[in-house]
Amino acid sequence: MKSMVALIRSYFMVFLADRAAVALTFIVPIFMIFIFGEIFGGSHPESSGIRLAFLNLSNAPVAKKIETTLDSMSTFTLVRTSKNKDGVSVPFDTLSIQDFVRRGNAPAALVLPVDAFTDTSVGLKVCLYYDPRNDFEMQIVQGMLQKTIMQEAPQVFMQSMMRQAEKKLGKAGSASFSNDIQTAVNRHFPGAHFTTDSMLSLATTNGGTSDSVGRGIVKNMVDIRMEQLVGKDISNPMPTRSVGGWAMMFLLFTLSSVANVLIDERRNAVFVRHLAAPFSRGQILLSRYIYSTILGIIQLVVLFLAGTLLFGIDIFSNAGNLLLVIVFAAAAATGFGMLIASIARTAAQASALGLVLILSMSAIGGAWFPTTFMPATIQALSKLTIVYWSMEAFMVVLWRHGGFLDVAPYLGVLAGIAAVVTALSVWRFSKGQVLL
Amino acid sequence: MISVQNVTKRFSNITALNAISFEVQRGEFFGLVGPNGAGKTTLMNLLIGQRSPDEGSLTIFGEHVSPDDPSIRLRIGFVPQAIALYDELSAHDNLLIFGRFYGLDRRTLKARIDEAMSAVQLSDRRHDRVKNFSGGMKRRLNVAASLLHHPELLLCDEPTVGVDPQSRNAIFDLLTSLNAGGTTIVYTSHYMEEIERLCTRTAIIDHGMLQAEGTTRELLRLLPFDETLSIKRSKETDGLEPALKQFGEVIVDQDKIELKPRSNTKISDALAVLERAGVMYSNIDWRKPTLEDLFLHLTGRRMRD
Repeated sequence: MKSMVALIRSYFMVFLADRAAVALTFIVPIFMIFIFGEIFGGSHPESSGIRLAFLNLSNAPVAKKIETTLDSMSTFTLVRTSKNKDGVSVPFDTLSIQDFVRRGNAPAALVLPVDAFTDTSVGLKVCLYYDPRNDFEMQIVQGMLQKTIMQEAPQVFMQSMMRQAEKKLGKAGSASFSNDIQTAVNRHFPGAHFTTDSMLSLATTNGGTSDSVGRGIVKNMVDIRMEQLVGKDISNPMPTRSVGGWAMMFLLFTLSSVANVLIDERRNAVFVRHLAAPFSRGQILLSRYIYSTILGIIQLVVLFLAGTLLFGIDIFSNAGNLLLVIVFAAAAATGFGMLIASIARTAAQASALGLVLILSMSAIGGAWFPTTFMPATIQALSKLTIVYWSMEAFMVVLWRHGGFLDVAPYLGVLAGIAAVVTALSVWRFSKGQVLL
Repeated sequence: MISVQNVTKRFSNITALNAISFEVQRGEFFGLVGPNGAGKTTLMNLLIGQRSPDEGSLTIFGEHVSPDDPSIRLRIGFVPQAIALYDELSAHDNLLIFGRFYGLDRRTLKARIDEAMSAVQLSDRRHDRVKNFSGGMKRRLNVAASLLHHPELLLCDEPTVGVDPQSRNAIFDLLTSLNAGGTTIVYTSHYMEEIERLCTRTAIIDHGMLQAEGTTRELLRLLPFDETLSIKRSKETDGLEPALKQFGEVIVDQDKIELKPRSNTKISDALAVLERAGVMYSNIDWRKPTLEDLFLHLTGRRMRD
């Protein structure tokens, strides 16, 4: 028994001495639990919500009430202006708000038109323009909008109907009409205890969409005109939307393993032979960088070609810009791989560090879930990741069929990330602690 | 060809090399000998420009060696202590890769690969993967990979560690013939017998300091004795140490007692002591001193202590 205890203790000693194993066992799962918890935990008081472009052209009280409700919801961040070409913020009009969505600045725009609700209206009319670049996010947007409208519209609608009845029938006639309806309903639905007053407050009790009597009536009273502005021509939207994120995640895995190779080379002395050959350290690093970038480019091209063959993703209609994004994404990811190689002292450390960073960047960068589901702080962090900017660039090219000018800002950010992480790794390498 | 002047190299608070100075002339087979941790590999790293010295100067072919100036390395070959080969690739592909580093054109490279393969007696295994090679074969290929560009100077950092006698002899023969052909060789080892066999001149270093330098003959002259009396240990030799000490330095090993007699010692007196103790003549041997003896004399300990 004593010897077994000694054996078990030896296993723990070896395990604890392996920092990579400890990190993989504890830190990675805790971080993942944190990310998932933040996304699905429900309450994010600091969440900035989904950007919703909003234009209210109606003077109707119900329109104002919908606007107020949407404004108060943490799910949405209402955007009412956009910048013109001079960089000045101007309020939306019916065209600019659609353009705002087309350019990918918000996933949806809600317009309450002038005739959204008038005294003569038979129902509420709203226009929803949307870009289903992220299916999950779009379902949330549509669901929350419907809920809000259904919640606020019926009460006002019933008040308006009562006013119209008074106008047509007079006060006494209107009251008699209401009593007749009340009597008729209660005769046919005994036990419903229906009153016109209860109908007026219907919407505020169960959001107007519960199992109440008025549910079907209310549904028909709201006319939500939906128009998809982006991606209508895409034959297989789901894979087109997700291919960029997954491709980036696997690219990072590949380049992380390239970092391991660099460390292995150091260990097996081939690297010493490189240093003894007529190369400067800078040339060795640059060669490694170019090789890894080319490998990354080839991997991304193969992944996108596989996406085309398997799911019919259209990569050829905007192939030039797609290739540009691939090159910049691979360059940035290579810098990231080099940084791991420069920080880690062993292949095991590089694996652990790579895994933590890749999973973190994929999670908070939006490869798995829309970033809008995350707290504001994590959303801010996501903009520091290669995954986020690469995915955005891929969406511009594949989803929005954007041109060079559309994708250029994203390329600039990726180039910036590549420059920073590569400079950091070169600095680490040049310290000499890592090379030898 | 090589000039090392007052070179010091420190790592944190450890001084790996302490004001080392020596020179190597063109065509020499120069040995650097010392125990593990003496500073040999650090010195090699400085010579190939992997690192810069903290103090002192180091020139090869009259040019300062620097990590930032790789041009000088076109004329230098380096055999690293560890096996620096790609295990998953064939012997031929390894040489192809390393030969390309030196800008050899395709035809020349092909000829050089054939030549190197033949020199290390691996021509018939050229297309086998290195991972299937024995340790000795890998060592030989490790040397061959450093010769493809016909370097004027070959730096060998303990190239025979863990090698079988056959491969060791093959490597020795190759290096000897290269040196005979004009290649200057700097060879580090902690095996004194290798240094004695190969090198025309030797520097002994220990704890980062140069202890002695010269040809083997010059170095051995530093010893205060010419020959060593070696007595195989037996029950007759027990307790003989004090009696023998009157004739010179006595070292008691596990299997033998060595007497390094002073120059004024009468050997007949020493032999008389042994005879009286009953030591058989067949258990007594005379041998010439070696660099191992010199190292012991200079540092007070054996190379492999």
